[in-house]
Amino acid sequence: MNHPLEPGLKSLAEAGLGSIALTVNGRPALLNCAPPTRLAHALRDELGLTGTKIGCDAGDCGACTVLLDGKQVCSCITAVAQCAGREVTTIEGLAQDGKLNRLQQAFLKYGAAQCGICTPGMLMAASDLLAGNAAPTQAEVEDALGGVLCRCTGYQKIVESVLAVAHDDLTLEPPTAGRAVGSRLARLDGVSKLTGAEKYGADEYPAGALWLRVVRSPHARAGFTLGDLDAFRRKYPQIEGFITAADVPENSFCVFPVPKDQPVLADGHVRFRGEAVLGLLGERDAIIAIPEAEMPITWQPRHALTEPEEALTATGDLIHDFAPENVLCRGRVVKGDVQAAFPMAAHVVEENFRTSYVEHAYIEPEAGYAEVVSQGGQERLRLFVCTQTPYMDKEEVARVLKLPHDRVRVVPSAIGGGFGGKLDISVQPLLAVAAWKLKRPVRIVYTRPESMASTPKRHPSRIRVRLGCDKEGKLTAMDFAGDFNTGAYASWGSTVANRVPIHASGPYALPNVRALTRAVYTNNAIAGAFRGFGVPQACIATETLMDELAEKCGIDALEFRYRNAIRAGDATACGQVLQASAGLDQCLDALRPAWAGAKEASAAFNGQAIRSGSRKRRGAGLACMWYGIGNTVIANPSTMTIGLRASGRVVLYNGAQEIGQGTYTIMPQIAADALGVPVSLIDQVHSDTDLTEDAGKSSASRQTFVSGNAAKFAAEDLRRQLLQLAGTAADATLRLEGTALIAGTSRIDLQGLTPINERGDLALGSGYFNPPTVPLDADGQGVPYATFAFAAQLAEVEVDLDYGTVKVLHIHAAHDVGRAVNPTQVEGQIHGGIAQGLGLALMEEYISGKTDNLHDYLIPTVGDMPRITTYLIEDAEPLGPYGAKGVGEPALVPTAPAIYSAIRAATGVRVRLAPATPDRLKAALKAHEAGQRL
Amino acid sequence: MHAFTYTRAADVGGALQAGAAQGSAYLGGGTNLLDLIKGDVAQPLRLVDINRLPLAQIRELPGGGLSIGALARNSDTANHALVRQRYPVLSEALLSGASPQLRNMATIGGNLMQRTRCPYFTDVGFAMCNKRNPGSGCGALQGRNRMHAVLGGSEQCVAVNPSDMNVALAALDATVLLRGPQGERRVALAEFHRVPGNSPELDTNLLPGELITAVELPPAWPNARSRYIKVRDRASYAFALASAAVLLDLDGQTIRAARVALGGVATKPWRATATERALPGRRLDEGSLRAAAALAVREAHPLRENAFKVELAQRAIVRALREAGGVA
Repeated sequence: MNHPLEPGLKSLAEAGLGSIALTVNGRPALLNCAPPTRLAHALRDELGLTGTKIGCDAGDCGACTVLLDGKQVCSCITAVAQCAGREVTTIEGLAQDGKLNRLQQAFLKYGAAQCGICTPGMLMAASDLLAGNAAPTQAEVEDALGGVLCRCTGYQKIVESVLAVAHDDLTLEPPTAGRAVGSRLARLDGVSKLTGAEKYGADEYPAGALWLRVVRSPHARAGFTLGDLDAFRRKYPQIEGFITAADVPENSFCVFPVPKDQPVLADGHVRFRGEAVLGLLGERDAIIAIPEAEMPITWQPRHALTEPEEALTATGDLIHDFAPENVLCRGRVVKGDVQAAFPMAAHVVEENFRTSYVEHAYIEPEAGYAEVVSQGGQERLRLFVCTQTPYMDKEEVARVLKLPHDRVRVVPSAIGGGFGGKLDISVQPLLAVAAWKLKRPVRIVYTRPESMASTPKRHPSRIRVRLGCDKEGKLTAMDFAGDFNTGAYASWGSTVANRVPIHASGPYALPNVRALTRAVYTNNAIAGAFRGFGVPQACIATETLMDELAEKCGIDALEFRYRNAIRAGDATACGQVLQASAGLDQCLDALRPAWAGAKEASAAFNGQAIRSGSRKRRGAGLACMWYGIGNTVIANPSTMTIGLRASGRVVLYNGAQEIGQGTYTIMPQIAADALGVPVSLIDQVHSDTDLTEDAGKSSASRQTFVSGNAAKFAAEDLRRQLLQLAGTAADATLRLEGTALIAGTSRIDLQGLTPINERGDLALGSGYFNPPTVPLDADGQGVPYATFAFAAQLAEVEVDLDYGTVKVLHIHAAHDVGRAVNPTQVEGQIHGGIAQGLGLALMEEYISGKTDNLHDYLIPTVGDMPRITTYLIEDAEPLGPYGAKGVGEPALVPTAPAIYSAIRAATGVRVRLAPATPDRLKAALKAHEAGQRL
Repeated sequence: MHAFTYTRAADVGGALQAGAAQGSAYLGGGTNLLDLIKGDVAQPLRLVDINRLPLAQIRELPGGGLSIGALARNSDTANHALVRQRYPVLSEALLSGASPQLRNMATIGGNLMQRTRCPYFTDVGFAMCNKRNPGSGCGALQGRNRMHAVLGGSEQCVAVNPSDMNVALAALDATVLLRGPQGERRVALAEFHRVPGNSPELDTNLLPGELITAVELPPAWPNARSRYIKVRDRASYAFALASAAVLLDLDGQTIRAARVALGGVATKPWRATATERALPGRRLDEGSLRAAAALAVREAHPLRENAFKVELAQRAIVRALREAGGVA
């Protein structure tokens, strides 16, 4: 299914045609590829214009949008023959004389590009609109952008940017010294994302790189044998090499030390549809042209265990020999005495909930290349890949190749969205094994179907919760049990199983808690890390019951949460006493006016609707969340270094992997203020395992908190060294003027100093931070996280009772982030999290072994997004850099339950199965009207 | 991916000549065909590029009808002044389909030929699909069938015709103009698409080598009111769970005549003729309309996951009629 080029025709002469002449970005271009070659591929491969991205290669995502005679088209399903004599404009054609045009400037100023992978498509779609309509309305903008999917931004800043082109002053005002933290500094890596210059995983590869085609299992569970590969190669001489299980020195991997349960290439047995069994190497088009049916593989399909219930009771039928009952792991938090508490409760509610597989749907499929390089008389493996975790990749690839760590270098590409999906291992070991075996550069770009079949998803869950309170509405007990379908391999399943019970109580003070979880193996797609690690699923269950209980008590839903909000000084279910920065009550206070207004407005709307016979109903709902920042107990340190050069510029060695969330902007902001210089004086060496220190993974909402501290400490260390060098007091001001360092009254000419390393640093500051935690005991008691983020979101929805459709009108999002280092980036995270939460709530359902494209798998488009109002609560965390915590995952967690709460307010229907698609909601509405329970 | 050749036709005669060879496929906008070729779902031996043919014209016919050339782009057709004025239901349907990028490339002729989005059809790694591989079975009947047809299906195939445009054309009583080796023929839209029956591999009654040259619309009803309603899982670029195109001729609040077509629920663009027959003389109240809408789904055969479409189709009809009539 991997067909980037049509190999049907090898030459134009064969078709009796000359070259295809067209105009690209105002210049004549000649294409010598086959006429049916799709334009996106020709632009990238023939003309080197890699600014045009291929996300789905099927016309579903719009990342490849270009202008054809001024009109937006998907270049991935336009043949070059259709462009003969016509004018094509790509993102590379927007900036004039090296200067961003107004649309690009607006995108930069308002933070419309996060990961940047949809940005080319968005810019081109907006350019089409603006060319004919200089001052469009919001509705016109939304119509024009309706065919470009964005998974990061929630679209709001993109729409604002397009609207801003007509009127706004788009000049940027960079912050002055000491004012970087808290400023809306435009992304420092923004320009390259807006011109198409940024290199993502598929955008760069060495000349002569072989293409790796991975042959995958069509069965969910089967034995298999490989046939005669030599004969196969004689039949298809374009095959220049194979990789099989036999070629993998250590054929197992996992993100955790135990269990290393997933093979790089399956060895005689597959456990899910899409598992890699064989790699073919050769020239791309030739290797792709080999029919799938010709692969020399004999299959013996076996009965697949597709549901956790079945897997748990399939006695003796183990998916992995080491996992009895097919359980990967169990999580447990127990505090107080739940059994004694429930009989004493004034009100008790109980319910079952289910959620579905959710696909990350990052617009950039996994891609990269590996090459063997000779360095110091030794062969090393160099890996260029889109990843959230270069250091783990390095260790895992070294392990698979049985090489010392220092023989592997990971150079991350720009990453076109991750959300936890690229926190796992996909192309890395496959590329490494192939390049190491053939001693030639090897590249790969997953097709969309391949990416969707083979990489991890959000865990489907089945959760049962019982919740009780006293007659004053104080929560007294929660009993929580959740099973998480972890699919065929472990991935991050144990993190989900362990994180959920800690968070199960929600951000509330609860004296009695029992939370038990299991991660269960099945023969389904792998479930792993996805923004929130299971907490979003749990939050749907617990927040729905919070509403129920509030109603039973006759207490307003916001007030009920406010009374129970956990505050500094309270103990969590793990017995951790929160020391500071527990701002849920402030989040709820911030929402009070909107809450009162939304309830009133929906009541008025519904009154009118009933009188007029309209079938629309509105409702407002709330949900709260908390989220532990960083790894659960497990050490997750970060190290940053920062140097001063003779040029008078500062270099931050920033290993905190940028994944669209802004670490390449936020870390310099923090470092600049800690050093006391303007951020404009800071250059960066971006994450590269040879050039930067290990800053850990871009996961668990940890980078601002953990690496932010490391950056701060490093800059403070450098400042100390420089002041010492100048012989001035520790509180002296420090300035850089040209190549002079001015500290207090002394002035040092940097050109006169000797570098301390070969990179040219005159001094190097180093910073290290590892969040303090205490291991959990058998009952989950301890200190799992150094700090927590808190949030409350309020959703206003309109439900169509006839259709069962839901339109989310407005979301008010109040987030305690400790300190917003860059409010634009924080808002961007919140908007994007809400978009993903909305998708989880209403439309996203991946069907294992089946869903393989972005028109069956629906993520929110611009038209699905509500208005979003953010309220940034800054209850400073003493342990955080300038008080900052994290926001990446917290943004998503409360959205789905807030929407469900609003649906319930509008209709009386309680959603117990996510997503609440129109058919499910309609069935629930009918049952509700009939007075039945569904 | 199978090997194929490419040829560019200079005129209709040349296209027909090239298209007569077995395994030929005409390339118009390519938004569906190129994707199907890429995925090995379609395996033409020869692509005949017809984009240079002079078939993109939209013009008024003597007597007041409208001719839309087969190569007219969806966006051009949707925004054409005569279409907007006289056949707004077609404009609405086109604009509710696909995305702006696809509408800028996709043609009227190609839209008529659009193939189903049934995931069992498009997944060549899955063995069973009678439409793709006759006689291999149907994965959807016992599989995941939430998106499938409740009307017009057979034991062999329940795949939905995904087009929005076709639904409006069905309501408008369009005629498809075809040119083939034997000359020109005209086929009513209702006769153009096929239900799967025992030959699900055939979506249409197009003969081998035939080329769609135009779609003709009869003169619009004077004072007609119309509406296209599409219910879907998200706001844009999603296929219909159910859709309804309606035309109304009203005498005050009483229906004089009506046309009703359904999409998203049937194996071909579906005229709800029983509903149409029941509507004249009725008023636009919910009860009357519901009774008439129920007639549209009397023959419905819901599957395990798509029973909701039976009611949804009726709701869409009622809502479309009321909105067309200006009472909702």
